[in-house]
Amino acid sequence: MNKFLLSKKLYRNELATFYSFLIGFLIAIIVGSIILLIQSKNPFDVFSLMLKLSIGSLNSLSNSLNKAIPLILAGLGIAIINSVKLWNIGAEGQIFFGAIALNFVYINTSIENSYLYIFLLLASGFIGGSVCILLPALSKVLFGVNEIITTLLTNYIVFGLTIYLINGVWKDPNSLNFPAAAYVSESVYLPTVFGKLSSGFLICILFTLIAYYIKDKSVFGYEMRIAGGSALTAIYAGISAKQKAFIAMLIGGGFAGLAGAIELLSQTHRVSTGISQGFGYTAIIVAAITGMRPLGIFLVGSLFGALAIGGSVIQTIGVSSYISDIIQATTLFGALIAQFFFSYEIKRVKDD
Amino acid sequence: MKNPILEAKGISKSFGNIKALDDVDFFLEKGIIHGLLGENGAGKSSLMNILSGIYIPEKGTLTINGQLIKRLNPDLASSYGIGMVHQEFRLIDSFSIKDNLTLSKSNIYQNDFSEAFSKYSDIFALNLNAMTPVSELSVGEKQKVEIMKLIFHNSSIMLLDEPTAVLTPQETVQLKESLETLSQEDEKTIVLITHKLKEIKDFTETIYVMKNGKMVAKDLDTKTVSDTQLIELMMGEVKTSKFDKNNFKGDTKLEAVDISFTNEQNIKTLQNVSLEIKSGEVLGVAGVSGNGQVELANIICGIIKDFEGRVIVKTKDVTGKGVKSRKKLNLSYIPENRLGVGLAPGVSVLDNSAIKEYFQASFGPHLSKNVLLNSLNDLINKFSIKAPDVKAEISTLSGGNMQKLLMGRELISNPDVIIAAQPTRGLDVSAVDSIHNLIIDQRDKGSAILLISEDLDELFKLSDRLIVMYEGKVITEIETELATVENIGLAMAGINE
Repeated sequence: MNKFLLSKKLYRNELATFYSFLIGFLIAIIVGSIILLIQSKNPFDVFSLMLKLSIGSLNSLSNSLNKAIPLILAGLGIAIINSVKLWNIGAEGQIFFGAIALNFVYINTSIENSYLYIFLLLASGFIGGSVCILLPALSKVLFGVNEIITTLLTNYIVFGLTIYLINGVWKDPNSLNFPAAAYVSESVYLPTVFGKLSSGFLICILFTLIAYYIKDKSVFGYEMRIAGGSALTAIYAGISAKQKAFIAMLIGGGFAGLAGAIELLSQTHRVSTGISQGFGYTAIIVAAITGMRPLGIFLVGSLFGALAIGGSVIQTIGVSSYISDIIQATTLFGALIAQFFFSYEIKRVKDD
Repeated sequence: MKNPILEAKGISKSFGNIKALDDVDFFLEKGIIHGLLGENGAGKSSLMNILSGIYIPEKGTLTINGQLIKRLNPDLASSYGIGMVHQEFRLIDSFSIKDNLTLSKSNIYQNDFSEAFSKYSDIFALNLNAMTPVSELSVGEKQKVEIMKLIFHNSSIMLLDEPTAVLTPQETVQLKESLETLSQEDEKTIVLITHKLKEIKDFTETIYVMKNGKMVAKDLDTKTVSDTQLIELMMGEVKTSKFDKNNFKGDTKLEAVDISFTNEQNIKTLQNVSLEIKSGEVLGVAGVSGNGQVELANIICGIIKDFEGRVIVKTKDVTGKGVKSRKKLNLSYIPENRLGVGLAPGVSVLDNSAIKEYFQASFGPHLSKNVLLNSLNDLINKFSIKAPDVKAEISTLSGGNMQKLLMGRELISNPDVIIAAQPTRGLDVSAVDSIHNLIIDQRDKGSAILLISEDLDELFKLSDRLIVMYEGKVITEIETELATVENIGLAMAGINE
C-alpha cells in the first residue's frame, strides 16, 4: 500500500509568493471567463473593456489609483500587525473611525493655513484608527483575548456609531434627509496631482516606504519578527512581546484610519456610509496574497483598485460588477493554494 | 515470573538515525505495581507508546493474555484493556468530570455511574461533585480524574507516565495509597514510569531499568535491590576522561545568594540555593531534571524576577532587573530548549544569529543588515557552522549546527559569565566534542561557567566543582576530584551521606 505524506519544503523559492499571485490571478481570470460565458458574454470583450476603462486613459488610471489608496494603506496596516503573527480584521471599522475622528477635529477646530489644517486632519485620522484598535489591543495584551474576534466585532460597533452620528448629531440639515454629515470646506480637500489623481496617492507611496522600513529595516521590525516567531525566545532575548504587539496594533490601526481620512478629504468630503465600500476587508485579501510584503501590497492594491473601477464600468454593458469581486476573491484562493504547493511537497512513502 | 498478562519481546524502534528502543523485553504480571526507571531519553515513553498502540515497533512481538498480537493500534490496545495516562493531560477542560469519565464508548459504568463514582472518589480521596467542570480542578485533581478515566474505560493494565511530576509530596503519598488499593482490590496491573528513585522504591513491587534505549535490568525485586545498584544501572558506565583542571581561577564573577522561588502552581521549586563561581571556573550542576535547575538558570539570567534572594554579576547586584541588565554585564545564557527558547522557529538563520546583540547593529531605530551579515559570517567561519542559506528558516540547519550557531552567538563576545543548560543533549559524538572544547576554551579565557547537565560524563569531564540539586535544594557540593559517580548518583536520588 502506498501512503502519501505532506512535508514542508526546507527551501522556498524567493519569488514563490509572486508566482503564486500570478497563478491565482490566472485561475481567477479563467473562472471569471467561465461565468461570463455562462451569461453568454464574450470574456475577451468584457476584459478588454475593463482594461480600457480602468487604465486606458489618464482619467481612468487616476480613478483606479484613487480606489487603490485605501486598499494599500489598510493592507499595509494589516501587514505590520501580522509581523507579530496577529490578524487585524478590523481595518473596515478603523477606516470609518479615522473619518469620524477627522470630522470631530474638523468641527471643533479652525486653522487658517489649509496645508497645516489638512496635515492636522490627516493626523487625527491616523490617531482615530489607533484609538479604534485600542480596545482589542488592550484586551489582547492584558487578557489574551483573540484579536481576530475583537477586531471583527469592533467593525460592527463603529459602523453602528457611524449610522448614529449621520442620522443624529452630525446630520446635515441640507442633505435632503440623506443620512450624511455636513461637507467639509473645499479648502481642506486634498489637492489633485494630475487628472483626478488625489495627492493621497503620494501619501500612500510614502507610507508604503515607511511600512517597508518598519518591517524590514528597523530594530522594531526585528523585535516584532522575533516576538512573532516565539514568545519564549522574545522573553529570553529581553524583548517584551506584549509591548511589540501593542505598538504594532496601534500603528496598523493608524494606517487604516489614515485611509479613512484620505477617503473623506479626497472622495466623499463628508462622513457617510460611503467612506468605505468594504475596503478594509479587501485589504485583508491584498495583504494575504502578497505574504504581508509592503511593496507587494502596493502593486496588488493598485491592481485591485483597477479591478474595482473596471468592475463598476462594465455594468454599463449589462455585466454585473460582481465579476470583479469574484476575480479578487478567486485570486486569493488560487494564490493561497499555489503558496501551499510552493511550501509543501507531497511525498510518496512505501508502507509495509 | 509465572503468568505474565502482557509480554513484549525484542522490541526495537528507531526515529531517523536514533535508536529509541533496542531489543527491549518487558513483562507485566497481573495485579502488581511495576516500576520503570530511567533517565530522560532512556526510552521509557517510547516503550509505553508502543504498548498503547501509538507507535508501531519495527521488530519484536507482543503477547497479551497469551494471545499474539499482530499489529496493535490505540483502539485495539484499549479493547485489550491497556490504558495510559500521559504527562500532558488529555481531559476536555470545559466538560464536567462525569462527561470526561463517560466520554468513551468503552465506558462500563453507563448505568451505575454515581455508585462507581463515589466508590472511586473514596479510593482517590477526591471530594468533588461529578458535575464540576474539569477547568476548575487543581493539577492534582486532574491527575486523579485521568487515572479514574482508565478505570471507567475498563482498563486492566494502567500505564502511568511520570504521574508524580506534578504532585505535591502529600498528593504523592495519597496517590501511592490509591494505587495500592487498585492493585489489591481490583487486581489492576500498573506500570509507574519515573526517574525518581525514592518513589520507585516506595510504590512498586518489581523494577525494570532502561538506559539508552536498552532494558538493562528486568524484574528486580524492590525489597532486595539497593539504591546503589539502581543508580549504577540508571547511570551506566561513566567514562573518566578529564580536561586539565589546573586552570587559573580569578575573582568571583557570579554569585547567587540564598535563592528561593515558588512557582505559579504554588510549588516551592527552589529553597535557599547559594552558589559562587570564579573567573576561569566551571561549576557543574548535577541532578535529575525537574529539580529546580531550569528555574535557577532563569533567575540568574533575569527571566524570572519574582524570587527571594540576590543575584550578583561581577560585583553588581542585578536582583529584580531584567535580561538586558545581564547582557550589559556580558552574561550569556545557552538555554536547555534550543529551538523555541534559544532560537525562534520560523525566523531566518540571520535573524536568529543576532538575538543576543542585535542592538549593536542598530543606529537609532535603524538596523543595519550589513552589520548583521558580517557578524553572522564571523560566526560561521569561527565556529564552522554549515548554513547554506542564511535567509532560510532556522529549521533548515541540522541540530548540531543549530547548537553551534546558538553557542557561537552567545560565546563570540567572550562573556564574563556563561550559563549553559544541557548544551549537548541530543547531539552526535563529534558535535558533543566540539561543544566541550568550546566550553573549556571559554573557561581558559576567564569566563565563569555554570554548567547544568544530566550527563555525568560531561559534568565530570568539564567541571572544577560539582553541586547536586534535589527537590530545589543544593544537597551536595564537592570538588570534582573528590567526587565519585556513586556519591553523586546517590545525591541525585535525594540520598545524602
